[in-house]
Formats: sequence, C-alpha cells, structure tokens
Amino acid sequence: MGLLLRAAPLGLLLLLSVGWLLPQPSGLTLAARASDIALRVEATLDAMPESPVVVVGFDPDIGTYPEIRPAVRALLADLLEREARLVLVNVTPEGRALLLAEIGRLRASSERAVMVDLGFVAGAEAALVALSRTAPAPDAPVALRAQLAADGIAAADLIVVVGGNEIGPRTWVEQVLPRVDQLPLVAISPTVLLPELLPYVESGQVDALIGTPGDGAAYRESVASTPGAAADDRLVDRLALLLGLLVGIAVLGQALGERILPGLRIGGRGERA
Amino acid sequence: MTGFFDGLQADTLATWVAALATLVVLGGLLGERRAFGWSQHLLAGLVTGFLGLLAITDVIVPRLLVPLLEDPGSRIDLWAGLVLVGLTAGAPWLPRGITAVPVSIAIGSLAAFALGGAVVGTLLPQVATTIARPDGDAVQTAVAIGSAAISALVLTSFLHGGPRGRLLSVASASGRSLLVIGLGGWLGYLLLSRLILLVDRIGFLLGDWLGVGL
Repeated sequence: MGLLLRAAPLGLLLLLSVGWLLPQPSGLTLAARASDIALRVEATLDAMPESPVVVVGFDPDIGTYPEIRPAVRALLADLLEREARLVLVNVTPEGRALLLAEIGRLRASSERAVMVDLGFVAGAEAALVALSRTAPAPDAPVALRAQLAADGIAAADLIVVVGGNEIGPRTWVEQVLPRVDQLPLVAISPTVLLPELLPYVESGQVDALIGTPGDGAAYRESVASTPGAAADDRLVDRLALLLGLLVGIAVLGQALGERILPGLRIGGRGERA
Repeated sequence: MTGFFDGLQADTLATWVAALATLVVLGGLLGERRAFGWSQHLLAGLVTGFLGLLAITDVIVPRLLVPLLEDPGSRIDLWAGLVLVGLTAGAPWLPRGITAVPVSIAIGSLAAFALGGAVVGTLLPQVATTIARPDGDAVQTAVAIGSAAISALVLTSFLHGGPRGRLLSVASASGRSLLVIGLGGWLGYLLLSRLILLVDRIGFLLGDWLGVGL
C-alpha cells in the first residue's frame, strides 16, 4: 500500500502525459455549448465607439495564469483588431512580470498597436482609487495623455480586468466602478474565483465574465478568424484534463467511501440482528 | 517556441532553464526534496529581487525622488513619504515603536479602502439586487427568500456556547452543512485550476522542450 501511494504521483504524471500525447477525441470539446459568454463579450465590445480607449488592469497570478492565458491573448488580439488604444496597468508585482512578457509578445506581433503602459502602481486598493482620479501616462500620445491626466480611468470607454487571487474583478468593482460612473467592465479570471464573481455578473456590475476554461474556449472560437487571436497559444489539453479530473473524482470517492462504508456495515448488522 | 534540437539561442536557453526548474518541482512531487528545497529558495530570492527592483524603478525613483528633486519646496507629502521609506528601510536597526509607524499606516489605509469599497461596491449593490420587491416576479422573490434563508442558516452555524433550543441546533447544523458544501465546491474549482497548471507544464515539457507532437 505504501509503495502504491509513493508511485501514485508518478502514475498521475504518466497518465497525464499519455493523455497529452494521444490525439484529441472528436466528441470531447472544451467550449461550453450553451455559453452565452462569447455573445456578451462581443456585445460589450461592439458597443464601444471607434478607436476606443480600453484600460486593462492586468493582475493575474502565476499559479492560475495558464488557465486564462488563451482567453487573455484572444481578447487582447480582438481589441487590437478593433483598433482599441490599450492602457495597461498593474497593481501587483506578479501581474507586472506577466504583463512585461505579454507586452513584448504584442509589440513583436503588431507594430501598429497603440499600447500605453502605466507601469506598476503601488498601493493595491489605494492605487486603484488614485488611478480613478488621474492616470499619469508620460509615454502616451498627447491627446490621450491629457485625457488620462484629467479624468483618470474615467477617460476609458471600457475596462478589462485580468484577475488573480490577490487583485481581481471584485477589487475593481469595489474601488473603481463607484468612482467612474459605471463604465462597462469585462473580466477574465480563473475558475476558482467564479463563486465570488458570479453575483457581480447577475447584478450587472460586471458586463461579461470569462470565468471558466469552457467560457474561454467558447470566446476564443468566436474570434478564431481574428489575426493573432488563436494562432500563438494552445488551449489546455482536453483529454489530459479529463483523465486528471477522473483521477481526482476517484480519489475523492475513495475517501468518501472510507468514511461512509463503516456506517453502512454497522447499519446492516443492526438490521440482521 | 523551441524544440529539443534547435540552435542554442536566448529563447532556447530560457526554455531549458524553465524545463529544468519544472523537472525539479515535479521531482518534489516524487520525493526528491533537496533540489525542490533549493528551487523554493531560488524562487524566494528571485521574487525578493524583482520586488526590490520594482519598488526602486517604478515607485521610489519616479514617484518620490524625481518629483522631490524637481520641486523640493512644494511637496510636503512627499517628504513625509521619504521619511516613511527611510523608517521602513531602517527597520532592523530602529526601535519597534518607530518602525511600527509606516507599517501601521500601510495596513490601516489598506483596510480602510477595502472596507469602504466592500460596503459601497459589494454590500449595497448586492443587497439592492437580491432584495425582494413588490413589483418583482416570482423567481426574483424566490431567489431573495432563498438567499436570505441560506445567509441566516450559515450565520447561525457561527453561534457557539449558550443555551440552544432544538430548532436553533437544527438550523446551526444545516448552516454548517451548507458551509461545507460551499467549501467543497470551491475546492473543486481549485482542483481544476491546479490540474490545468499541471497539464500546462506537462505540455510545456513534452511540446516546447522536447518538441514532441508539434
């Protein structure tokens, strides 16, 4: 039993590797079939004016970024295709490290993209409050620089929040939206934040939330024809994910069975007696 | 992305470093603790270095020192900020009563913003959305009643000590069960997130590093 337990992690790694190497079954899809998320995101983006200013709060964490990365890249490509002027900002150091990599990738793939990097702003919630009043952007084009200096985030036509465990859509809803006259907000966050964020979607404070890999895949499919939206990143491997989930369910079921079985045995003996 | 036999360029080197770090971390899963421990120290050191660099290049120099040097007379708030930075940096050598000042200001202001935001941005709008209205439809009313009932049951589960009636005990047990079900659901989401991370790393090792299946 001890040997089996020690070999279990290696077995899991081998199983996931085999799942990754095998061809994807045709009936196994990641995109949520009944998801209206893609429609909601597209409707929010369609409502923007021409050459919109989009503030992107980029604060994912390293532990969950692989989950949302395909959707993030698809959304950024979609925004640039719509000639949006992106104003990028971080309030967490992890988000800064990840954003620097994304900016390098975007600059390499799109020379005409207008991106203004506000940099790392210290202070977490306090930083968001300060940015909602004024957002110094010395490297921005003159008109946009004046707009951001005078109105802060309120100068934007849309807010996009790429969230993680520390700073995410909830923080933006709490600190920024009450100060900028309810700008539309689109959020991308890992699945673990879904229970926390769904009430904001229901209340209309968040206009569209890509909160699961299925939602992300559905949105990515909807913008597949957009240059750069789907070409340079791969979705999570469906078969490997399914195998991993089955292992997880089996382990949890076994643990639950160990708790329940003694009680059932005692109950059975009592009935026989 | 680079494969196993590509020419040795900067991105190839980065891929190799990342692959070795991934193998060391996965080795920790298989029982190799020493190299895993070193990788944790390496991560802590790199994160600390990055934080320090970020604090100097993105915060202290452009937002504190440069404005002070340009116009030293008019920004008293920045002088106060400089004193607080000095107190924080000198924490190992200064009395605790003095070094507690910048820490207290940081914690207090963060708590104030978080609390105010939670009330204005979450509590009030969510209550306004959930609350039952005379002109609301049956579904909205049912949702409102259900939300209120679940909130009440969960709150009763936090009652400890004191005399209780049978009804309150049942309500408290139900609240605890609801809380555990909620936590279970949340752990399920967490499992999915971490599983995706593991599959992503396996994809990185097999695809980007070894060039298999590309």
